[in-house]
Amino acid sequence: MLGKLIKHEFRATARIMLPISGAVLALSLLANLSIRGLTGSMSEIPVLRIFFLFIEFAFGAAIVAAGVMAIVIMVSRFYRNLLKDEGYLMFTLPVSVHELIWAKLIVSLVWFLVTSLLIFLVCCATALNISGTSLAVVIGEMPSWAELRDALKEIGVYDKLVGLTLKMVLLVLLSILAVCLHFYASMSLGHMFSKNKILLSIVFFVLISFAFNMMKMSIGIAGFDALNGTHPMNDSEVMTQFMSRALWVGIGTQAVQAAVLYFATVLSLKRGLNLE
Amino acid sequence: MPILECRELSKRFGSVQALDEVSLTLEAGRVVGLLGPNGSGKTTLLKLANGLLTPTDGEILIEGLAPGKETHSVVSYLPDRPYLAEWMKVRQLLDLFEDFYDDFDRNKATEMLLRLSIDEEMRIKEMSKGTREKAQLILVMSRKAKLYLLDEPIGGVDPATRDYILETIIRNYNPEAAVVISTHLIADVEQVLDDVIFINQGKIMLQSSVDAIREEHGMSVDQYFREVFRC
Amino acid sequence: MDWNFRGDLPIYSQLVEQIRLAIISGVFPPGQRLASVRDMAAEAGVNPNTMQRALQDLEREGMVCSQRTTGRFVTEDPNIIEQAKKQYAEEQIRAFLETMRKLGYPREAILTLLKEEEKENADT
Repeated sequence: MLGKLIKHEFRATARIMLPISGAVLALSLLANLSIRGLTGSMSEIPVLRIFFLFIEFAFGAAIVAAGVMAIVIMVSRFYRNLLKDEGYLMFTLPVSVHELIWAKLIVSLVWFLVTSLLIFLVCCATALNISGTSLAVVIGEMPSWAELRDALKEIGVYDKLVGLTLKMVLLVLLSILAVCLHFYASMSLGHMFSKNKILLSIVFFVLISFAFNMMKMSIGIAGFDALNGTHPMNDSEVMTQFMSRALWVGIGTQAVQAAVLYFATVLSLKRGLNLE
Repeated sequence: MPILECRELSKRFGSVQALDEVSLTLEAGRVVGLLGPNGSGKTTLLKLANGLLTPTDGEILIEGLAPGKETHSVVSYLPDRPYLAEWMKVRQLLDLFEDFYDDFDRNKATEMLLRLSIDEEMRIKEMSKGTREKAQLILVMSRKAKLYLLDEPIGGVDPATRDYILETIIRNYNPEAAVVISTHLIADVEQVLDDVIFINQGKIMLQSSVDAIREEHGMSVDQYFREVFRC
Repeated sequence: MDWNFRGDLPIYSQLVEQIRLAIISGVFPPGQRLASVRDMAAEAGVNPNTMQRALQDLEREGMVCSQRTTGRFVTEDPNIIEQAKKQYAEEQIRAFLETMRKLGYPREAILTLLKEEEKENADT
């Protein structure tokens, strides 16, 4: 059932996310061609210059739009599909509330990652274009995997690097989930009431922000206290250990935040659902 | 085992007591009218049967189970609101119902849509209100469920559509299923009902059969209702 | 078949009457196969249980017989139909005479009216 929900969720969100991604790609292509145009002979013609500059601007705007839309879609999808009239369909399907939430979390996560990757690639391509080199040249000048590995081993960081990378990936994923759940929990809690649902959702959003920021700040302060007396900057061994610990703390706090918000969402949807 | 059972079921919203110790049982093969004025608790009862609300007190059981994932697969619910996503095409909705509900009969739905000249490629937002209501009803009635909960299925539609909806309900009759029709338009629906339940201000006032009321009181249920609920 | 229901009588007894009338007036000829309960109910716009009850009553009367696998049929027994026809005609006449009595028409006047009506019908 979860698979079916995810499929349905992708179908519903792809309607908007795919065209936007397509627009980003298309504009990046145009923008890169325009860069050639701006630097080449065509830049003599003022009309064309304005046109090219406009394309650059549109390209930048599209990137921002793509990032913003990923968040907007995540929020509005949850709101319209679960908290408005469509909820009459969703909450009477033979699925659990958990499955409904996870389907949305997973799909939002995928879109965030896809959009980020897309923006990254498109910016890399543009950077290459601007610098006038081609991908082949850049790859040629990059150290080979063996060289990189040996260099890192010399610093003594290689073994830890794998662990650190994995932890960072985990941290990123959990952070995205935590952000989504922050919105989901705020909306679900706000909609338990019969009046001023949106206002209350915003209030809950702010309260939750405040609460978790306090938590993170106290953890951060405690972390700094623990650091007192050590000089991590001087010793790579201590440095990697410090980073590893910091990442674990980050993972821990995000996991706790995500879990708390997840259960807040589930409970408010199960007990307090008040569709009208 | 009764298909639907309420045991001293109560639901309160703040200071409003929407349902007050409602007890009733519904057996298979019966078409029951849940009749009462607006705000009497009809919709609240149906929502409780679906798990869209949780009871404040008492129990509600579908074939002995509390409302949840399992009961959803045997209950077919038609809310009195437009609940289908506007952007979806009819074909996509058929896909969705077929995907999630094992008891969905796609051929039956397709046939009914064809007979009403509803194009599968049409999007919900392109439909008139009447067409939308017919489409929603077709989806609900194309399931071979144990319990059908229809909330105001004929409110706000033209007489021809109303006749079609009632005919669909009759033709869909299954002796192993129960149908609950919640409405305040009693005269139109009376002939289709086996039994009626009068509900007012969250309390059950009467549970009887259409023919028994007519025999005992010498008037239609519609007229009797007006008497009972006279302001 | 035109179905017409009053609000103050149980539906199943009205169904019995109207189907019986359809049979004795030949709308459902003897031996005719009746549609399924569900189809008949849908046509009449009534609950299938109610239609079933009515048909069972008619079965008990002998107006209708059911063969388990093939369905329900109008009786082919002419006596039963004649009997029902006669009963219906008598009821109609009784009702008519009662109305005439209320209007204050004595017997001879009634007969005169009937003869006039007959002549008019013969002419047209």
